[in-house]
Amino acid sequence: MPEDSLRPAWSQHFTPDAIQELLADGPLARLTPNWAWGDSTGKGVRVAVVDSGVEYDHPALDDCVRGGVIIEYDAKAENNYRVKPDNKPSDVSGHGTACAGIIHSIAPEAEIHSVRVLGRNMAGRAIQFAAGLDWAIENNMQVVNLSLSTSLEEYFGLFHDLADQAYFKNMNLVSAVNNIPEPSYPSLFSSVISVAAHDGHDPFTYYYNPNPPVEFGAPGIDVKVAWNKKQYLTCTGNSFAAPHITGITALIRAKHPDLTPFQVKTVLLACAANMRREGK
Amino acid sequence: MKPNDDINEEKLSGQLQRLLVSIEASRRAVLPKSNDALLKSIVEAAGRIFEATAASILLVNEEEQVLEFRVAFGPSERDLTGTKFPLDKGIAGYVAMTGQPIATSNVQEDPRFNQDFAKSTGYIPNSILATPLLSDDRIIGVMEVLDKINAASFDMQDMELLGMFAQQAAMAIDQSQQIENIEEALVLGLQRLATADASQDSTDLQSVLDQALDQKSRVPELMELADLFYDISVLGEAERKACLQVLNVFAEYHRASTRRFR
Repeated sequence: MPEDSLRPAWSQHFTPDAIQELLADGPLARLTPNWAWGDSTGKGVRVAVVDSGVEYDHPALDDCVRGGVIIEYDAKAENNYRVKPDNKPSDVSGHGTACAGIIHSIAPEAEIHSVRVLGRNMAGRAIQFAAGLDWAIENNMQVVNLSLSTSLEEYFGLFHDLADQAYFKNMNLVSAVNNIPEPSYPSLFSSVISVAAHDGHDPFTYYYNPNPPVEFGAPGIDVKVAWNKKQYLTCTGNSFAAPHITGITALIRAKHPDLTPFQVKTVLLACAANMRREGK
Repeated sequence: MKPNDDINEEKLSGQLQRLLVSIEASRRAVLPKSNDALLKSIVEAAGRIFEATAASILLVNEEEQVLEFRVAFGPSERDLTGTKFPLDKGIAGYVAMTGQPIATSNVQEDPRFNQDFAKSTGYIPNSILATPLLSDDRIIGVMEVLDKINAASFDMQDMELLGMFAQQAAMAIDQSQQIENIEEALVLGLQRLATADASQDSTDLQSVLDQALDQKSRVPELMELADLFYDISVLGEAERKACLQVLNVFAEYHRASTRRFR
C-alpha cells in the first residue's frame, strides 16, 4: 500500500471521502448554527493573535486591532525574553495579518490583540511563543489564535501548564496543527481546539473528526487573505484554517458569554457540517 | 619585548599554521565535511515524488543575514550552489523568517517573490512549495520544490509530505554541523593549548599532534565525542546546563591540578 503510507496524517481526516457523518443526538440536536452564532458579530470578545504581528491599519481589518505586544528573544534577559508594548502593531511577515483578517471577516466586532512572537531571529522561537501565550492568559483574552506550534519535547510541560491555565481562566485556545504529522504543542492537548485544513471555501463550513488528536477541519487551501503592506494574497496551510474556527468561537462566546471552554467545544462539535440531525 | 621572544613567537606561529593546515587536511580526508551527497539525494527524491521541475535546499547564515543555496537541481541556467540572497527577500526568506511553510500558485503576482533573483537564474517558476528546516525549533534553512509538472499548484498533502522530507534533510544538516562544530572546538582547543605554551619552547607540539592525527584510533574517539556532544545537545535545557556544569567542574579541576604540578 505505498500510496497509503505516503499519505500525511493530519489533513487526511478532512478529504471528501474521509469525512465521517456523525449523529447529533438528544440535546445536541438542538444546538444548531443559528442558535450558536446566528446574528452574532463577536462584539466585545477579546481575541489574541499570537503570530508575526498584525498590521493594525490594514483596510481589511477596519480598525478592529486594539494594540498588542512584541515578545523579543534576548539571551541576557530573565527567562530569555522581553515584552514590549506595541500600541500600533505592525506585521513583519504578513502571516499574522492573514490570520487576523480571517477572524475579522467572520467576527467583525471582535477586538483583536496582536502578540508578535515570530520574526527575524531564528532562535528562541519556542520561549517567545510560550511568553506570548502567557501574556494572552495574563491579559484576560477570551479566544487565542495559535497558527504555530513547537515540536520541542522540552516545552511539553510548559505548554501543558499554559493550556491548563488558559482553560481554567475560561479561555479558548485555537491551534493549527503542525504541517507534518509529528507531535507538536500545544495543538495536541485535549483542552485545545485543534484545526487542520480542508479544501472547501465556505467560511462557516467546518467538520469534526471523531478520531483525535486533530478535531476540526476548516478552510485552509487557496484562501484569499490580507497580507502586510496593505496587500492581499492567496495562501494554503493549516495556519489559515485555525482562524476560521477562532472567528466562529468568538461569535459563539459573544452570543453566549456564560459558556465555558468545554461547552464551547461541544457547541462547535454539534454545529459541524458533518453532524446529521434526526429527521433531516 | 626581547628579541628572543620574537623568535619564539614567530616559530610558534609558523608551527601553528602548519599544524592547522595539517589538521584541516586530515579531517577532510577522514571526516565527511558535510552530508551534501545525502542532501542531494533527499532533494532529488523530493523533486521526483512531487513531480517538480526544480528543488533546492537553502541554509540560513545568521551572521551575514542571508540564505545560501546548499543543493539545487532544476532548469536554472547556472549552478545555484553557494548563491546567497538577503534573509528578508523572497518566498524562501519569508519561510525562514516565520518558520511557517507556504504553498503559492501565482508566484509572479506574489509580492514576496524575488523577481530579480529568479530572472538572474533564467528560470521563473509558477508555483512554489517551501517549508522550514528546523533543528530543535531553530530555523536552519528552507527546502523548496518548484512547479509541479502535472498540476497548477501544490496542495495540503504536498505540504505535509515536504515537511517529512525537510525533517530528514534537517537531521542530515544538523549532524554534519555538529561534527564541524566539534572539529572547530578541537582546533580552537589546540590553538589555546599552543598559546598557553607560548612562554616555553614547544618544538614538540608539532610532532605530538602529527602523531596523534596519524593514529587512526583518534577518529572513532572523535566520533564518539561528537556523538556524546550530540546526545547532550538534544537533551532539555536543564540537562544541557547540568552537563556543561559537570564539564566545567572537570575542566576547572584539571586546570587547578595542572597549576599545582608546575
